[in-house]
Amino acid sequence: MISISEVYRSIVRRDPLSTEKGKAELVFLNLWLHIHPVKVKKENFRIRHTWYLGFITFYLFLILVGTGVALMFYYRPYPAQAYQDMKDLQFVVFMGSFLRNVHRWAAHGMVICVILHLCRVFYTASYKKPRQFNWVVGVVLLLLTLGLSFTGYLLPWDQLAFWAITVGTNIGGYAPLLGAKIKEVLLGGHNVAEGALIRFYVLHVVVLPALVVLFTMLHFWRIRKDGGLSRPVWKLEEETTTEGLVQIGSAAASPPRNESVSAASNDKTYGLMEVVTGSPLFETVATEQVDEEVFSFPFAFYREAIAFLITLVSVMAISLAWSAPLEEIANPAKTPNPAKAPWYFLGLQELVSHSAFVGGVLAPTLMVLLLLAVPYLDSNPSRRPAARKWAIWIFTAFMLVNFVLIIVGTYFRGPGWALTPPWVHVAGHE
Amino acid sequence: MENRTPQVFFALSLIVLALLMGAIFQASSPAWKAYQHQFYRLEAQQEPTAAAKESVMNGAVSIRQILLPGLQRVDRCTTCHLGVDDPTMAKAPQPFTYHPNVGPHLVARFGCTICHGGQGLAVDKTNAHGRVAFWSQPLLTKDYVRASCGRCHKEGDVPGVPELAEGRRLFETHGCRGCHKLNGVGGSIGPDLTEEGANHRQPEWLKRHFLDPNSLSPSSPMPNFHFTDEQARALTFFMLSLTSEQMGAYYSSVRVIPSPELGRKLFAEKNCITCHSVGGVGGRTDSPDLAGVTRRHSIGWLDEQLVNPEMISPGSLMPAYELGSNERKALIGFLNVATAEDAMQMLTGRPKALNPEAALIEAGKQNFSRFGCVGCHGLEVQGGVPNPNSQGGEVPSLVHVADDYTKVEVAKIIRNGKMPPLADAKKPAPPLYMPAWKQMLTDEEISRIVEYLWSLQPKKEAAW
Repeated sequence: MISISEVYRSIVRRDPLSTEKGKAELVFLNLWLHIHPVKVKKENFRIRHTWYLGFITFYLFLILVGTGVALMFYYRPYPAQAYQDMKDLQFVVFMGSFLRNVHRWAAHGMVICVILHLCRVFYTASYKKPRQFNWVVGVVLLLLTLGLSFTGYLLPWDQLAFWAITVGTNIGGYAPLLGAKIKEVLLGGHNVAEGALIRFYVLHVVVLPALVVLFTMLHFWRIRKDGGLSRPVWKLEEETTTEGLVQIGSAAASPPRNESVSAASNDKTYGLMEVVTGSPLFETVATEQVDEEVFSFPFAFYREAIAFLITLVSVMAISLAWSAPLEEIANPAKTPNPAKAPWYFLGLQELVSHSAFVGGVLAPTLMVLLLLAVPYLDSNPSRRPAARKWAIWIFTAFMLVNFVLIIVGTYFRGPGWALTPPWVHVAGHE
Repeated sequence: MENRTPQVFFALSLIVLALLMGAIFQASSPAWKAYQHQFYRLEAQQEPTAAAKESVMNGAVSIRQILLPGLQRVDRCTTCHLGVDDPTMAKAPQPFTYHPNVGPHLVARFGCTICHGGQGLAVDKTNAHGRVAFWSQPLLTKDYVRASCGRCHKEGDVPGVPELAEGRRLFETHGCRGCHKLNGVGGSIGPDLTEEGANHRQPEWLKRHFLDPNSLSPSSPMPNFHFTDEQARALTFFMLSLTSEQMGAYYSSVRVIPSPELGRKLFAEKNCITCHSVGGVGGRTDSPDLAGVTRRHSIGWLDEQLVNPEMISPGSLMPAYELGSNERKALIGFLNVATAEDAMQMLTGRPKALNPEAALIEAGKQNFSRFGCVGCHGLEVQGGVPNPNSQGGEVPSLVHVADDYTKVEVAKIIRNGKMPPLADAKKPAPPLYMPAWKQMLTDEEISRIVEYLWSLQPKKEAAW
């Protein structure tokens, strides 16, 4: 007779959760949870420190993977079938339109949240030493998110999809030297057609999600290694002006210098990785607010779960109230006026309408390079807002210009790309 | 929040559950299920015994669909319109009413949307009837549903739909092609009409547009042709029938309506009378006389003979004409009633050969009307279509064109087009202009049109 409890114990080998050892083991004996520290600083989980935007972005990604795989069961990436499958999802697949709505709105939400997350990280100066490279990883994740959204945009194969991708890839085609080639490789031809659909599909369901997973792992790993969730340390410094580090153990021949450990160790929680023989060079622990630390279980897990549930509730509620758009089947012979790219590229399209070089080449290249270089350009070591006014002003202006361009492109451009307020109806255009 | 995280977690979980239930409810109570239950109740009323009633009531509740790969559509209309092919449902209320008079257009073979419009894939009323954003073919109203006949029956008369033939005739004779392209032929001042039937226009809109274009499109340069109400209606029928959709092999083989009149036309067109006689009139002696041929041979034999004469009658010199199955049917239908008188009419009715000069002018006249010159310059080349801000304010008359131009000059204007001179240089350019025709007309065709114009000149030159 197999004993149920024996089987259970072979799977769950930790001590009961009522014990501190059990709480610790829950985290570090579990493959999925051990990205968390066993104990976290309560302070780090304050909503107003991070607004949980990184979490929410990740949760939206999980929702997108779940609904996306479900949608793949119904979707054939070939023009006429693709559109018919959309209609079948809408009309005859059980909960098909809900599924598609969730996927669509979560996708827009992810683009928005990843941008908001970028803003939060900038304003809290969390990209500074030692997290410079993690900012770069984050920018790569932003670009991958835009790529996912853009490739997914084509898949319904309706007029909206077709013309948004046509305009979007045309903007890309302006880039010098490689632009036209990249466009051709991406589309599998010179126009958006069957070739483009299968390529976008493969990028959307295999290549880009795999890259997002890889880079997300790197992103999370580095957060953990760099001392966990970011928080406004400058506020803590104001309260405790004492040196935050003490040295334990005997120093070797030369005394360790504070600079070599300070940045990496400021937020580092204590971790014992392995017991090895030999005397350590030095160990450091952060003494400040040690008493504020609590076990991850259940403190952090509850908060993360609540963030997830709020994300899920929002997406579900929006999906019940509003349907994802689906226009007529793509018709290359019938150009809508105006034809618009997906919303996050409308800023670029707006620039392209003034100068193809600026909008298609200069602005996107500069934007990406500037974003990637932020931690290396900003040599100011302070994270105190008062000490980095210039950085904040420049970044705010940069985001505002983008925002205004996107709003103008989305709502203020009518037929013929003429400046038309959204409340003015142009005769002859539905 | 600090110490209430478990409660918040629990409450949010409940909300997720509630939303999920909401989504399930939204998905699982479609109106078509209620319609199917209602239909079964209606059917059960006609059953005599309780057991029979019971078995009817237990019918499957499921989406019905007609797969029509040949028409590139899937029609799910019968999910609600359950009595459409059941004559006992003739008096049933909608959506269960029987559809009478479909003729050969069986629902199982043609579906519904090819004639009625609407969205075949949808299974709720609003979407299925297609009166929603982003569906270009809403359900046609009773008055205009017959326009759809022209979607397949692109040539010849359609019995019961005289509007279609009239619309086509008006289109070709009023020079619409001068401004509008249809299936690749025509001008480019107005919109291409090839897909007009799938353009989301209401029939009422089209009709009003034909009666007075500028009342609906104030900036449109389309002249008011002063059509009568019937003519506007006929043109609307024609517009609604326009589509470049390709039908599958089966549908294109039967789209010609097999009437004896068509057979008679084919008999004349294919010059059957050259070899065959009917009741002793016409033909050569060694080909069989065709009077009463339908009584000597079965219809099947005649059909095979028309497909491949050599196989049925070895050694036959008769060519294999590439006729569709309905064309063969029409021809046999005509042979069934053909008499010597018909043959006589055909022989005498053959067009007389024109002298070369007159033939040239006639060809020019044909081109003048076919390529749409008449649209602006008028059926009698009298001009007069308003063209604001051009000198004279109208499209010029061509009656006296020989007074002002040489033939070479006119040919050049036709070839390269011409912007009308402005009456007031400050105002916007006139909406109508002479397009360049060199892409559409050969030099030969242009010279024929010029000859035609010169033939219209008053004969005073002769006296001078």
